[in-house]
Amino acid sequence: MKKQLLIIPSILFLLILLALFYLLIIERNPSELPSNLLNKNVPKFETESLLKSKKFVSTKEFGNEVVLVNFFATWCKPCRDEHFYIQRFANEKGIRIVGINYKDNPKKTIRWLKNLGNPYSDVPIDKNGRIAIDWGVYGIPETFIINSKGIIKYRHVGPITKKMYRKINLLIKEIE
Amino acid sequence: MTINKIFIIILFISLIQAFSNNTYAVEPDEILKNQIQELRARNISKNIRCMICQNQSIDESNAALAKDLRILIRNKIQEGKKDEEIYKFLTDRYGDFILLKPPFKLSTLALWVLPFIFLIIGIFVIFFHNRKSKKI
Repeated sequence: MKKQLLIIPSILFLLILLALFYLLIIERNPSELPSNLLNKNVPKFETESLLKSKKFVSTKEFGNEVVLVNFFATWCKPCRDEHFYIQRFANEKGIRIVGINYKDNPKKTIRWLKNLGNPYSDVPIDKNGRIAIDWGVYGIPETFIINSKGIIKYRHVGPITKKMYRKINLLIKEIE
Repeated sequence: MTINKIFIIILFISLIQAFSNNTYAVEPDEILKNQIQELRARNISKNIRCMICQNQSIDESNAALAKDLRILIRNKIQEGKKDEEIYKFLTDRYGDFILLKPPFKLSTLALWVLPFIFLIIGIFVIFFHNRKSKKI
C-alpha cells in the first residue's frame, strides 16, 4: 500500500509537465493583454478634429453603428504598414473608422493622409496622449472595435496584418 | 579563496544592490516643489508597471508613456486626489497588470496562498521523514 502511494508524486509531476507542454504548443501570445475596458462604454472625451472645424465629442460619435477606433501617428512605422488594411476596412467593408491622431504634428498628418489615402471618417487629435491613457493604450498602433451600443468589444495591440484583418472582419460580423 | 571569503563578497555585492536606489528616471522638470507630494508621487510610481517595458516601474523607465503617467500622477496629487483614487484611476484603464505587486483577491488567491501551502507540505514531509529514519 505504501509503495503504491509513492507513485503519486510522479503522476503529479507528469500532469504539471503535460499542462506546461500544452501551454507551450497552443497558439497564444503570452505578452498579449486583454483590455480592461472590454465590454465597457467608450471613454468620454472631447477634442479638436483634424479634418472638421467642429469639435469631436465622443458621446455623439459612438452608439449608432459598429465603429473601428484606430490610434495612429505619422511617426509610427507600423501605422504606415497597417494603413493598407485600415483602408480596406473603409473601402471594401464600408466600416466607419475613427482615427485618433496620437501625439502628432497636424500638418504632417494632413500630408500623410493625402499621400496614403484617408480611410478615417474623422480624426480627433490626441495632442498630449491623455485620450490614449483613458483608453488604456500603451503603444500605438492599437485598434478597438466598438459595437452599435457604444461598448468596446475588442482590442488589438500592434499593426493589423493580413491574419488580423481577417480576424477583425469576422469579429465585426459577429458583433453586428 | 575560501568559501567564507566568497560568501562575504557575495553578501557585500547584494548589500550594495539592495541599498543603491539611484536608478530612477524622473526628470528635473517633473519634480514637484512640495517635497511631501513628490515623495508620494515617487512611492506610487515605484508600484506602477511601465506597460511598455513591463519589468520596470514607471519610476525607473524612460519610455514616453512612463513619463506621461508620472506627470499624470503628480497632477492628480496636486489636485488633491488620494493614493487609492490614483491607483483606481490607473487600474480602471490598464487593469491589475499595471500594479507591480498583484493585489490579494479571489482570482489571485492561489498565487498568494500556494507558496505557504507548499511550505507546510514540505515541513510535514521532512518531519515524517526524520521520524521514520530515527526508528531505523
